[in-house]
This record gives sequence, structure tokens and C-alpha cells, in this order.
Amino acid sequence: MTAAPAVRRYAAHPFWQAVGILVLAYIVVVWVVPLLPGSAIVPKSVVLQYMVTVLVGLLIYVSDNEERWARFKEPIEAVLVEPRLRVARAALLVVVTVLVGLIAYGQVATTVAAPPNLRSIHPAPPTEITFRGKSITLTGLENPLRAHPESLPLYLAEGKGVYYRNCLPCHGDHLDGQGHFASGFNPLPANFQDNGTIAQLTESFVFWRVAKGGPGLPREGTPWNSAMPQWEDFLTEREIWSVILFLYDQTGWKPRRWETEPGKGESGKGKGDD
Amino acid sequence: MISALLLLAGAAPFPISHSPFPVQDTTRGKAVYVKWCAGCHGDGGAGDGVAAAHMLPRPRNFTGAIYKIRTTASGQLPTDADLMRAIDEGLPGSAMPAWKGRLSDAERRDVVAYIKTFSSFFADTSQHVAALKFSGEPSGATGATALKTGRQFYDSIGCRKCHGDQGRGDGPSARTLKDDAGFPIFAADLHQSWRFRGGGSAVEIYHRLRTGLDGTPMPSFSDLIDQKFLTDEQLWRLAQYVRSLSPPEPPEVRDVIHAPQIVGPTPVSPDDSTWARVGRYWFPLVGQVVRKGRWFAPAVTGVWVQGVHDGRTLALRVSWDDRTQSPDSAWLPFEQRVLETVAGDDSGPPKAEPWPDQLAVQFPRRLPESPAGMERPYFLMGSETDPVYQWRWTSSPRKSLAGLARGIDRFDTLPGAVAAQASFDHGEWRLVFTRALATPDTANEVQLAAGRAIPVAFFGWDGSSGEHGSRMAVSTWYFLALDRPTPPGVFISPVLAMLVTLGLGLVVVRRAQRRATARAGRQR
Repeated sequence: MTAAPAVRRYAAHPFWQAVGILVLAYIVVVWVVPLLPGSAIVPKSVVLQYMVTVLVGLLIYVSDNEERWARFKEPIEAVLVEPRLRVARAALLVVVTVLVGLIAYGQVATTVAAPPNLRSIHPAPPTEITFRGKSITLTGLENPLRAHPESLPLYLAEGKGVYYRNCLPCHGDHLDGQGHFASGFNPLPANFQDNGTIAQLTESFVFWRVAKGGPGLPREGTPWNSAMPQWEDFLTEREIWSVILFLYDQTGWKPRRWETEPGKGESGKGKGDD
Repeated sequence: MISALLLLAGAAPFPISHSPFPVQDTTRGKAVYVKWCAGCHGDGGAGDGVAAAHMLPRPRNFTGAIYKIRTTASGQLPTDADLMRAIDEGLPGSAMPAWKGRLSDAERRDVVAYIKTFSSFFADTSQHVAALKFSGEPSGATGATALKTGRQFYDSIGCRKCHGDQGRGDGPSARTLKDDAGFPIFAADLHQSWRFRGGGSAVEIYHRLRTGLDGTPMPSFSDLIDQKFLTDEQLWRLAQYVRSLSPPEPPEVRDVIHAPQIVGPTPVSPDDSTWARVGRYWFPLVGQVVRKGRWFAPAVTGVWVQGVHDGRTLALRVSWDDRTQSPDSAWLPFEQRVLETVAGDDSGPPKAEPWPDQLAVQFPRRLPESPAGMERPYFLMGSETDPVYQWRWTSSPRKSLAGLARGIDRFDTLPGAVAAQASFDHGEWRLVFTRALATPDTANEVQLAAGRAIPVAFFGWDGSSGEHGSRMAVSTWYFLALDRPTPPGVFISPVLAMLVTLGLGLVVVRRAQRRATARAGRQR
């Protein structure tokens, strides 16, 4: 229990309060924020911005009050002046100097990095494609199988078979793009569970991507990288429409429809909310 | 509103039952199973879903209640926790993914209850299913004596018969192995612990040694402890020895191979001592499932790549695990079984033939004009209009060629060759390609410039697994960088920055001290 008074003394000191808040802010930004649902790891430059903001706020707070400001400066002053802190003083000088040297070296040392992979995820689709010699107009096209609601269970079963025989190794059991071959490819296979893929697209767009695959991408889609096959070589038109039905049914997303205004598609999980 | 109520109901504490899990609902379990599992494991749980024919190893057949990854004695049913673990973590190296985080806790629990209904063995409540009592791991795992003890028992209890002298699954019995269903099965490559079905830690390996992998030729060694052939601690040493064969961490895939510049001639031999001093890079290879003639069971799971250059010549060393030095006629029956097990695009299985092992390294013919240019030929061996430049090596006849590939089925040899030297050692190929950085044929042969990211890709074939032509393992584009030594000029600005910092720091300290002295003087 002897440590308690010392701890309390530190906790009441404005300098150590500031240090504590800085450390806490760093922990929150780097480790806690990525845990929040729907967020990702915070990029280093953004972490720096947050930390500078916190630091400025702290300085404004401690300098707001004359006495607090004087107490805040005490430990800094002590390190610079006190003879008993000579070792700490020397260590601080060395550490800061070395740190600056390392940062400067990191800035000037050149290393070869992979070229940037600027890639358009959903490039503009053509208005018309040729599917096995037959011309298909994509604009305004809906999944023709949806015109027969009584046969949907049959089409879905067919689509499931197509998916498991063909798509599974890359797009995975959970349709999240993490099949057992996914790690071998770059870009990673599309994640259909994500709200940024099929949930945003019309079924005609998906048909185009399935039928023409990576080699059918325009230049901005980096067609040389994509491992998506040209499925028109393997599957019939009906098989592709049925597997598209399966993708939406299995994930619970609704395709964007042509009638709705762009940007306000009917996308949204069909599960639960009603 | 209803969903909120359901959520509340889901969070309510479950009544206690005898199962280690709270109440399990086989009706809900069936719904989950039909939606997410039946595609591979089949509606009736017989491991015969529509995807099964493309898989090796095949999906588990639940009707027999035989499970590889258990904590129970050999021949016993698994515990619920064992089944849950397989679902949660998946089976690495197979098509079974980890479902934790993909399905909710309740869904996974319910599915465990449902898959038990496929076999009447689980209904027999007179059987007491209990995990073995495992001892804790003894310390000294990586000590030389511990590993030596482990190695001794590796030899004496017969591990090497299937797993081979160096553990790459190339033992003399490996080519005869079948699982209980009659499917061909590979002895595990002990150098790739990240692909072990039950996990790659020493603890998990020890558990597999104690329990065996039921339904496979891998036996349990618990009886050897009972017979006093070896002690429990010695079995632990064996597990630790097996663990020591793999890297401490699963290899991380990095985009750029850095090939340092060395003084003197570049090594041409795969066993040159230079290679021990150069960093190696792992690239995963996966089945060619893009063009017709797809292949779903690639045998070459990845390649380790190293590079060095001397300013004039590049030496690129590619090494990979392969159980056989193909062609090996002794493996033809095994090859035939693999080809019959794994469905492809042909109507019937192809006939097993004595194919060689092969490896290809691929570059674009020319680098983009600007270093930031990202355009490249098609990763899968280029196309008719935009071919790629490749080095191709075959084990028999032992030779290497350079040429242009125009898609997976067309390769035109170029007159300018690439030198290659290979050695095969206990289930590992080590292959070194050497070529001048600059060549006369600048139109077709990539000019290997230092200080740039040069696109590179890899392809591998294991002849004894039936791999030939489009039946291969492929990689995507990665990069090779020929590093230049750091010029001394680079160090100028960091040193300057340090001097300025130190100077400023000293000034600040000096001023603070002078002020303090002055203040003290005034107070006195």
C-alpha cells in the first residue's frame, strides 16, 4: 500500500495527467477504435493528426491557468536542470537525437516497392455484350428467371449447384471471398457478404462480370490481375442467371433495380428488420 | 421489433444440461446445415455434396462418425467440443473454412447437434465420450537434446515410413496410402505446419500423436506409452521435433522479392553457401481454376524464392516441396487414383502418365516505361496478343528453356537460353536459374534493371500427382527488385539532422540551467 500516495501525487500533477491522457488517447485510437463495429485500422497519418489535436488541447488546458502552467513545467524544468537527473537528461538527449536520425533515414532511404495498384472496383459496364455469339443488351436488363416466381426454388437449387461446383474455391463457403484458393490471388475474390459488392449492383452488371470475367474488364479494372474466369466458356446463360439468384438469396441482399433512382437502390439486408 | 426480441431471447441464459454446451436445437441446426454445409457434405451428411468431387481431401462423411481431429482415444467418438473446434477453426490445408465469426455461437452449436444425428453411434448414450487426460508440455522444446530425442523416436516408431527421412511426406509407404473410404491420401508434409488439419502447435501435434487421425493411416501412439516402448515425455519430444521442422510462424506473403547485390560471381548451384545468407520469400500457389482443363488439387502448395545479382547476372533460386522426383513409375497407381478422385473439366478421368515435375518463372517481355506503370500482360501466361516471357524447367529430360507463352496452351521457345541447375533432396526441389541482366533480344526477353519492381509469377507441376499442361498450380503477379547497395550520400541528411537536434538540445539545457542559476542567485 506504500505506492498509493505516490501514485495519487502523480495522478494529481498536471504534467503526468497530460502524459496519461496522451497515452490513453493513443491506445484508444490505435487499438480500441478498430474494435468498433464497422471501423478499420486507423492509418498512421490519421493517428498523428489525432495525437496532435489531443496535444494542442492539453496545452491549451494546462496553460489556461497560471498556477497549473507553472506546475506543468516543473518536471520538464527539473530534467533540464537538476544535477541528480543528469542521467535522465543525457538519455533524453541521446534518444531524441537517434530518433530524429532514424526518421530522417527512413525518409531518404529508397527501397523498391510494388507499384500502386489503382483499380476501379466497379467499372462502367458496356450497354451490350456478345454472349456465345448472341448479343445481349445489358441496359435495363433484369434477371429473366425472376419472371417465373413459381420456379424460383428450382432455379435456386440449380444456382447452388453451379456455385459449389465452380465458384467455391475462390469465393468460399460463406460467399465472403475467402475460399481455400483465395490467398493465391490478387485482387482477392469478391466478398458477396460485403455491402459494397452485389448489394450495390444490378443483376445485369453481375451477369456481365460473371460472363466476361477478368479478361473482359476494361483497362481501369486491371484485367491482367483478375483471376475471375470468363464463365461463358463454362456456363450457359441460364446457369449464370441461376447462380446470380443464389448469390442474392444466400447473402440476403437485394439486387439494385433499374426502376429505382441510381444511388437509392433497394439494397439492404432483407433479414430481420421487418 | 421482433428481431430485437429475438436478440434478447438469444442472450438469455440457457438452462444447464449434461452436454458441455447449452441447449442445442437440431431443427435449427438442420436449417443452418442445409444452407451452409450441405453443398460439400451432402444433404444426407455422407460427404457427397455437389462440390465434393472437386476436393482432395474429401469433405467429412458424417454417417460413419469417424473423425480425424479429436481429443478422445483412437476409435472413440469425438466430444462435442472436438466437433465444435473443427467447425470453429476449420481444417487448414483442406477446403473446410473456420466458421467462427461466420456463423453465430448458437448456429454452430445447433449444427454440432444436427451432424450427430447422421450417425446412430451418437444416439447410444451408454457410450461415455471423454477426452484423454493429456499431460502438459515439458519445457526445453527447442533444446538440442530434446530435438535429438524426438528425432530418435521419429525413426524408431516408424514416422519416416510415410513422412520420409526429412519429413516431407515422401516416405517409402507414402504412395500406397488410402483413407478408409479408399481415397488417396498424402502423408503430411511436416515442413508446413500451418497446413496441419488439427493445428500446427507442439501441443496440437502431441494430441494427434496420442489420438491418431481416425479414418486415415495415421495411428495413435498412446499404446506405445502403455507398452512402455516410450515415455509420455519422449512422445512430447517427438511432437516438438516435428514442430521444429516448420518455420516458427506461418510464412507471410510479401509482394516484393529483394535480391541483394553481391560481390563476385553469382551462385549457379542450388546448394551454394550464398543462399544461406539471403532472405527467402514465400509465395502460395493454388489450383489453375481459370481456364478449361481446370485443376482443383494442386500438389505444389507454394514456392520459396531467393535472388541475388552481381550487377551483370541474376541468380534466382526457387525451392518447393515435392514428394517425388517425377517421373517415378512406382507412383503411377497413386497418380491414377488422384486423377480418378478429383473431378475436372473432362468427361472422364485422364490416364496416369509418367509426367515430369516442372516449374515456370514468368516475366512480362518488357517493363512498363515508367516505374509506376502498372500495366502487365495477363497473369495466367499472357495472351495471344500480349505474350509473357517465361523460364521453364522440367525434371525429365532435365533441361530449361526460355520462351514466350501465349496463353496456357501455347509456348514458343526463344533462342536465348536460361541456365538452370537443380537438386532433389528428400522431398525438396531446389532450382537455380541464372541469366544475364541485359540480353541482345530486347524485344522478347525482359531486361532486368536494378532498382525497379519487375513483375514475376510462378507455376508448378508435380508429375506424380497427374499434373501436366493446364493441370498446375499458379500464382498471381508479384515483384522482383534487384537492390543496389545504399550510396553513402544517403547518410548525409540523417547525420546532419542528428547534429542539429543534439546541438539544439544542448542549447536548451544550457539556457535552462543558466536561468536556474540566476534565479538561485537572486533568491540568495
